[in-house]
Amino acid sequence: MELVKIYEGVENLVFKDLYEEYPDFHIQSFKERKRIRDYERLIFHFPLIWFSIPPLLKLWIDEVFDMTWTTEKNHPLQNKDAIIIVTVGGKAEHYTPQGMYETTIGELLRSLTLSLKVNQIEVKELIAVHNSDDLTKEELTQISEKIKRTLNIS
Amino acid sequence: MENSLAMTALIFLGAAIIMVPLVRKLGLSSVIGFILGGIIIGPFVLKLTGSGSEDIMNTTEFGVIMLLFLIGLEVEPKKFWGIRKKIFGMGLSQMLFTVTILFLIFYIAKWRPDQALVAALCFALSSTAIVLQTLKEKNIFRTEAGESSFSILLFQDISVIPILALLPVLASRPKDKEQMILLQYLPDWLQPFSIILGVLLLIFLGRYIFVPFLRYVSRSGMNELLTASSLFLVIGVSELMNAAGLSPALGAFIAGVMLATSEFRHELESQIEPFKGLLLAVFFVSVGATINFFVILEDPMFIFTTTIVVLVVKFGVLFGVGKFFKLKTDQNFMVAFALSQIGEFAFVLINYSTNLYLLDPKLNAQLLAITAITMCITPILLLINDKLIEPRWPKTHHQNNEITEPIKQQKIIIVGFGHFGSTVGRLLRVNGVKATVLDNDPERVNILRSNGFKVYFGDASKPGILRSAGAETADLLILCLDSPEKNKFILEYAREKFPQLQFFVRSKNRLDAYDFINNGVDNIYRETLGTAVNMAVDILKATGMRAYAARRLGQRFMLIDKAVTRKLAKEEKSDKVTFTMKAYLEREAELLAQDSHSFDESQWSENEEF
Repeated sequence: MELVKIYEGVENLVFKDLYEEYPDFHIQSFKERKRIRDYERLIFHFPLIWFSIPPLLKLWIDEVFDMTWTTEKNHPLQNKDAIIIVTVGGKAEHYTPQGMYETTIGELLRSLTLSLKVNQIEVKELIAVHNSDDLTKEELTQISEKIKRTLNIS
Repeated sequence: MENSLAMTALIFLGAAIIMVPLVRKLGLSSVIGFILGGIIIGPFVLKLTGSGSEDIMNTTEFGVIMLLFLIGLEVEPKKFWGIRKKIFGMGLSQMLFTVTILFLIFYIAKWRPDQALVAALCFALSSTAIVLQTLKEKNIFRTEAGESSFSILLFQDISVIPILALLPVLASRPKDKEQMILLQYLPDWLQPFSIILGVLLLIFLGRYIFVPFLRYVSRSGMNELLTASSLFLVIGVSELMNAAGLSPALGAFIAGVMLATSEFRHELESQIEPFKGLLLAVFFVSVGATINFFVILEDPMFIFTTTIVVLVVKFGVLFGVGKFFKLKTDQNFMVAFALSQIGEFAFVLINYSTNLYLLDPKLNAQLLAITAITMCITPILLLINDKLIEPRWPKTHHQNNEITEPIKQQKIIIVGFGHFGSTVGRLLRVNGVKATVLDNDPERVNILRSNGFKVYFGDASKPGILRSAGAETADLLILCLDSPEKNKFILEYAREKFPQLQFFVRSKNRLDAYDFINNGVDNIYRETLGTAVNMAVDILKATGMRAYAARRLGQRFMLIDKAVTRKLAKEEKSDKVTFTMKAYLEREAELLAQDSHSFDESQWSENEEF
């Protein structure tokens, strides 16, 4: 929760907490499609849950993205790029091909990155925050600074 | 000048009506207004009052008894327990030190020891009426200063009772035989225990007689009867205690405490409150009218030195106590200034001790004058605090407030606890969210109470009830009454009186909802919407639609319907058309038409909102 405070009061950035907005998992897809046109960059910030993205984020993509867009020209996801920030409870060394889970974070988020790619959204950067349940205050500030630098906000 | 009772009452009320708004404009407490009004109509300025003012004072002393009853109602055992350290620590030390120091000073000044003690006891008290009024006006009830002041005042109010019991002992004169008839019937060995006996009797009455009695009366559903029985209760108790040779104030207080946990607490409060207010007002005016200025003129040095000594001692003791209990300096100043006057109970105590021949009339007049003067000085002292002293601690004040003050739970009032309201209340309760609940069905309140629900009896559409349920400091007001008219009435009333409240309103149907929307309410719950949609979803399922698809359609329908209701509400406002059945059906058809074109999933348009 601490990291999310980065987005407070930043210009040119709108923070949407999907779980606050759609507590009953009923996504207003038309409204989302309409408003998504207004933005140039999508920042996905979420925790890794059972080696995957949160169910509401998955549902959001299911409801908002349209298969026909992959072939169309003038669709709502045009001219955008994306940054993914994922917080992971496990240690970094476990998420390597030789590690405990025998795979990487990038590999696990393939469904998300592919969905973006086919809609011509380039993923600029993927930041994984490991060991996220027991970070010290200093580590948290360091990570916050790093994210801010990536996003070009301060 | 000889006046009839009605005439005297007229003059007294007139003085109050003219003076109080004037004084309030100057930012002073209304008590000062009453006293000033009294002085003006008194024998030293306009000479409007005859010999009647003493009588009126005696009669309206009853207002003080009612005040004690109301204080008793406030003293819920739990609340009491929560701030017990403050009450006993700060209260007791304040009383002890002030009484001791004042007594020593008076004693050294060669007063008679018993008189010195009486005066010290009286002067140690502070004015509940003035201070609570000030706290309310400044809106600082929840701060440290507010809580400490309240604790000290509470302890003082309670200690009035033993003081009242102590005075006759000090007087060491044969007590008035006529008043003691009941007591005389008791065997000799029991007489010393009369206080304990009386208290036990009251506890018994409170437990087993008062509440069933009130329940019986409230079942009749007549408002006037409830008012009458509330008055009956208070007057009855005080008369009973009188007959038993005890202080009526003590009786009223205990009766209040006994009823504090009953469902009638808020109802009683709002019934007695106006009487208390009226009687206290007249009481204060009569105090002003009886201040003897000749006495002051005779020996101004005595009056003013005593006044200053009392103020300085009280201030010093309060400040010291506050320091000891680690109050912040600015808060401490606030408490010490606010509580440095002598309270209204001093009037009662002083007059009472004069009746017991403890004080002679001259000293009585002098003490009364001192009390009144300190009361009038309080607002000036507070002004000094506000303007000169508080600004010197501005930073610590704000920072500390933010960090140290615990986040108070939001205060919630639920009105109506029938099938609808009780569902709301139960869900809140299982999650540990506490709410004050009002309902006006005595049977239901009784049943809920026996099941451990904290429900109060009271009709929230009556002005006083919401206030005594704490609407002034509450955050959320939940209206769950069956009748839309009543919900609307309370909503409009409460919005005007308690602007800080956030509302959650139950509404029957779309038309009610229009009303509430146009009244600026955001949280509206149409009882015919959710259930009906759920039913339709189940029917869709029964006709063969996949369950998930049906549910999604239902949720979408609900969203669209809420938005359309909002839109139509605005139109309706501009049209000002009353709904006929035909118009209603037309609107319904419009809605249905809108539904059909916005539900096609594959054809989404850029204008669609949901």
